Amino acid sequence: MQQLFNGLFIGSIYALFAIGFTLVFGILDRLNLAHPAVFAVSAFVGIGLVEEAGLSIWVALALVFVVGAILGLLIERVAFRPLRNRPDAHFAGLISSIALAGMFIALLQAYFGPNTRRFPAGTFPDDRFELLGARVTLMQALIVVLSLGLVVALTWLVGRSRLGRAMRAIAENPTAARVLGVDVDRVTATTFAISSALGAVAGVLFAINVNSAQLGMGSAIELKGLAVIVVGGMGSLPGALVGGLLLGIAEVFAIQYIGSSWRDLIAFGLLFLILLVRPQGLFGSRKVREV
Amino acid sequence: MFTEATVTFIALGAIFAYSFYAVLVAGQLSLGQAGFAGIAAFSAVALVPEPEELGELPTLLLAIVIGMVVGAVAAVVLGLPTMHLRGVFLAIATLGFAEAIRILILNMEWTGGAQGMSVPKILTPGMAWVALALVAYWFWRQGHSRYGRALEAIREDELAARAMGIDVGRHRLSAFVAAGAVAGLYGVLWAYYVRLIAPQDFAFTAAIDGLVTAVVGGSTMFLGPLLGSGFQTMIPELQRAMGIEAGWIRPFLSSLLLLVVILFLPGGLASFIPRRTRMPTTPSDEVGSDHHGLSHRRHPAEGETVAEVRGLAKEYGGVHAVRGVDLEIRSGEVVGLIGPNGAGKTTLVNMISGLVPPTSGTATVLGVPVGRTPVHKVAGAGVSRTFQHSKLFARLSALDNVLVGGHLVTRPTFLRRLLWLPSARREEREALAHAARCLNRVGLADKAATRAAGLSYGDQRRLEIARALAADPSLLILDEPAAGMNHVEAAALSDLIRSLARDGLTILFIEHNVGMVLGTCDRIVVLNFGEVLATGTPAEIATNQAVIDAYLGSADEDTTGPTTAEGAGLS
Repeated sequence: MQQLFNGLFIGSIYALFAIGFTLVFGILDRLNLAHPAVFAVSAFVGIGLVEEAGLSIWVALALVFVVGAILGLLIERVAFRPLRNRPDAHFAGLISSIALAGMFIALLQAYFGPNTRRFPAGTFPDDRFELLGARVTLMQALIVVLSLGLVVALTWLVGRSRLGRAMRAIAENPTAARVLGVDVDRVTATTFAISSALGAVAGVLFAINVNSAQLGMGSAIELKGLAVIVVGGMGSLPGALVGGLLLGIAEVFAIQYIGSSWRDLIAFGLLFLILLVRPQGLFGSRKVREV
Repeated sequence: MFTEATVTFIALGAIFAYSFYAVLVAGQLSLGQAGFAGIAAFSAVALVPEPEELGELPTLLLAIVIGMVVGAVAAVVLGLPTMHLRGVFLAIATLGFAEAIRILILNMEWTGGAQGMSVPKILTPGMAWVALALVAYWFWRQGHSRYGRALEAIREDELAARAMGIDVGRHRLSAFVAAGAVAGLYGVLWAYYVRLIAPQDFAFTAAIDGLVTAVVGGSTMFLGPLLGSGFQTMIPELQRAMGIEAGWIRPFLSSLLLLVVILFLPGGLASFIPRRTRMPTTPSDEVGSDHHGLSHRRHPAEGETVAEVRGLAKEYGGVHAVRGVDLEIRSGEVVGLIGPNGAGKTTLVNMISGLVPPTSGTATVLGVPVGRTPVHKVAGAGVSRTFQHSKLFARLSALDNVLVGGHLVTRPTFLRRLLWLPSARREEREALAHAARCLNRVGLADKAATRAAGLSYGDQRRLEIARALAADPSLLILDEPAAGMNHVEAAALSDLIRSLARDGLTILFIEHNVGMVLGTCDRIVVLNFGEVLATGTPAEIATNQAVIDAYLGSADEDTTGPTTAEGAGLS
C-alpha cells in the first residue's frame, strides 16, 4: 500500500508535467522541447522566492505559476509563431525550442550558479498522517490533490469553455478556425501559457519532493514525459493523467521487485509496446488521413 | 583554434549528422541514431582483438565493419515494426529504443556498466576525414539518383509518391538502414578516438546534438551535415579564442545563434550554397528520339478491357459514397465521369487507382485486382493519376516532379552512380530528356526550373498531368484537371487529352466543365448519389432527361445526403 501511494505521488508529478506537453501537441501538432527547461527554471525561481525573498511556499507557487505562463508566451512568440507556415515546421519547431531551452538554462546558470539547490528546511509543514495503513506526508497529499485538481479543471476548460472550443477548432483545422473568427494566435499563445504554467508548478513540486533542484532536472523528466503522452495518447488529457500515474506506480514496483537500475527501462518498454500495439495510445483517437 | 581535436570532432560530428540526414531527406524524424552508435561501438570494441595482434589500421577497419553491420541490423530490428509511424511518433519510438539500449548497456557485464570500456586510441584526424569524405560522397551521389529523388518525393508528399509507383515502405526502411550503418560508423570512430566510452556518450543529449547539427546545416543538401558540424564545433572554439568567459555565456550564445539560424535560414547553412538546376542536354522538341534506356510498357491493344468494375461500393460510417457501380473501360477510350458534388466521382477513381479499398464489389485494372494490391503496384501495372487538390512535390522543381513521375520507366541508378559508370550517366540523361518531353507536351518547357509551389494554379494542374504522363501509363486518370482554368486553357487541355488519346492512351477523367466533357469524351458516365445514373455518348447524355434533372434539380428533389458523402469521403 505504501508503495502504491509512493507511485501515485511521483506519478501525479509526471502527469502534471506531461499534461503541459500533450496540451500543446494536441492543438499544434508540435512538440515543445522547451517545456523541460520551464520545469527547471520554475524550480529555481521557486527556491529563490522562498529563500531570498522569504515568501511562503503558497505565494511562491502562485508566482511560479505566473512565471511559467509568461515563459510559455515567450516560447510561443519566439520559437513557434515565426515557423508556422514552414513546410519543415516539425523539425524546425523542435530545434528552435531546444535553442530557447538552452538559453533559459544558461540564464539560470548565470543567476543561480551551476550547483544543486534545495528549498530551505521547513519550507513545507512536515505534517504526516496515516491513510489505509500507509504513511503520507502533507506534501505528498498536496501533490496528488493539486495535480488531480488541475487536470480536472483543464479537462473542463478544454471540453466546455469558449476558449476550449476555440482550441479544439484550431486542432481540427487552423485555417477554418481563423475564417470562423477564432483569434488563432491568441488562443495558441494562451495554450502555451497554460501548458508552461502547469510545467512550472510540476517543477516546484518535484523539487520539493526529491529535495533538490539541478540545472539538468528537466532532461531527466523529459523522456518520461514523452513516454507518458505517447502511452496515454498524444493530445489526450485524461490519457496523460492515467499514463503518468501508471508510470509512477510501475516504476515504484519495479524498483522493489526488479532493482533500481532497471527502473528506467519500464518507461521505455511500456512506450515501445504501446507504439507497436496501439500507436494512438490508450486514450487517443486515430486521425483519418485525407487524400 | 584548429587543434587536432577540433578538426577530428568536426569530422566525427559531421558523420553523426549524416546519419540523421540519411532519414531527414526522406522526411523521417528519427532519434534512434545515438542508440545505434552506442550498440555498434560497444559490440565492435568487445569483439575486435587488441591492436597489438592485428596492427592498428586493420583493427580499426575490422571494428568499422562490425560497427556498421551492427548499426544496420539494429536499424532493421527497430525499423520493421516502426516504419508505419509518422513524424513525432517515429521520433519518440526511436528515442525510446535508444534509451532502452543505453540502459541495457549500463546494466550489462561485458560493457563495463557505468564505467564503460577503455579503448585504444587509433583514429587520427586524417582517418576521420577520409571516413567523412566517403560518407559525404555516398550522399552526394545519392542526391541526383532515382533513389534519391524517390526519397525526396516521399518527404514532400507520401501519397503522391505512392501513386507514382514508389514503394514507400521499402524506401523508408532502406533510408533507415543507411542511417543505422552511418551511426554505427560514427560510434566506432568515436570509440577509437576518445579512449573511453561510456553509455552516457550515447544518451538523449547526443541524439539531440546530432539532429541539431543536421538541421542547422540543412537537411536537403548533401553538404549540410558538414556545415552544421563545422558550425556547432567551431562556435565554442571561436568564443574561447575571442576570450569570452566560460560558464553561462558560451552556451547562451551558442543557443542564440542556433535560434537565429533556424528562424532566418529555412534551408539551414546549406542555403548559402547556390544550387545548380540540371537541365536536359538534348533539345526537348526532339520528340521520339533515342530513349531506349527507358523501359517500355506493353500497352493493351485497342479495344481490350483496361478496367472492369463490378458492383463496386464504398461506405463511410453508414454513408454510401459509391454503391453498386459497374463500369468497363476499353483501351483507347476517353471516358468522362460527371455528376453533382458528392456523387462519389472521386471516391470511385480513388478505388480504381487503389488508394481506397472498396467496401464491397470487385475491380480489376490492367489485370490487377485493386483493393488488395498496394497503390505502388497498381501504379506499376500502368495506372497513373492526378489529384483533385494538386499533390505536387512542392519544394522540388517542375522538372524534378516529372522525373519522379518517370520512376517506373527508369532503372535504379544510385549504385552505378557511386561507381561513375557511364551507363548511369546515360540513363540519367535519357530520364531528363524524357521528363523534358513530358513538360513540353503540356506546354511547361520554359518553367522546368521553377519550384512546383511557385507555379500558377493552372500550371500546377498541367504539371500534374506531365508528371502522370512520365510514367508512360496505360490508363490515365485525371481528377478535375480543368478546375480553375479559364476557357482558353480548358480548350487547350481538351486538345491535349484528344492528342494523348490518339497516341493510344486510355483516359478516365472527372470534370465539372460539362461543355468540355461533351466535346472531349467518347463516352460519358454520369454518377448521382453514388450510383450510375446514365452512360452513353456525349450526344445521348446531353439529351438525357434524368441527367438534366440531376444537374439542374427539379422541384421535388431531395437535396440532403450527397454533400455529406463527399465531406466524409476523400474529396
